[in-house]
Amino acid sequence: MGKKVLIIDDSSTMRKIVTRSLRQAGLDFDTILEAGDGQEALQLLAKEGVDIILSDINMPNMDGIEFLRQKSANAAIKGIPVVMITTEAGADILAEAKSLGAKGSIKKPFTPEQVSETLGGLM
Amino acid sequence: MSWDTHIADATVEIFSTMLMMEVNPLAPLTERIKTHQKSVTGIVGMAGLYKGMLAIHAPATAAMAITGNFLGLEVDDVNDDVKDAMGELANMLAGSIKAKLSDNSKDIQLSIPSAVCGGSYSLDYQPQQGCSMVPFESTAGRFLVELQLEQQT
Repeated sequence: MGKKVLIIDDSSTMRKIVTRSLRQAGLDFDTILEAGDGQEALQLLAKEGVDIILSDINMPNMDGIEFLRQKSANAAIKGIPVVMITTEAGADILAEAKSLGAKGSIKKPFTPEQVSETLGGLM
Repeated sequence: MSWDTHIADATVEIFSTMLMMEVNPLAPLTERIKTHQKSVTGIVGMAGLYKGMLAIHAPATAAMAITGNFLGLEVDDVNDDVKDAMGELANMLAGSIKAKLSDNSKDIQLSIPSAVCGGSYSLDYQPQQGCSMVPFESTAGRFLVELQLEQQT
């Protein structure tokens, strides 16, 4: 069965850029799912299983940190690895994301090589 | 403090990394341009230890060309993609400036990006301590990056 990735970002442009970067990095997922914020992502994850999640932090409705918090409290999805893709590169917020289970982070702007390097070890 | 160099460095990095576009900073403007004609502006507000805003202003033709490079497709209208792309550029630029101001993310909060477009519009903002407006030239045309910053006491 093919691998599935979920991209969470309120910017449709950024979701397209991340999708393109995954392809350029040679990480060919069979299914790429998208959500505009953490709330939409949780609703989607209640219906669909995915292998990995790439999430922004600064989003309306439910931000990436709250998404991690709710995901870690849900036994059905807590094991799915999450990598943060964000402009928020402060050490404190990345440490908070890590404490809530994030497996890594990619700072915007990023190259396909950085995406490949970060995701490679998690695939 | 002048933010011209930081704006120039961050803009060049973002355009070369994410859009594969070479952009060149020009001499910073000495007088703020408030009114924009047939343009698109992406804006992110800043609050906390510093308050202010980061904006990228581009004529509609340049904004469409920038979005086309961003998404790898032809854009011939100021549609939602153009507004979203300009907002996201402002977001990345504001994130870069924020990182220069503090390593603690909670010291400064960034707003969700927004965009303004139209035939003629003005952005009123009281002159602040750190006001910079840097023009850039590119194959897409000229555009401006503006930073208004005030340190809170």
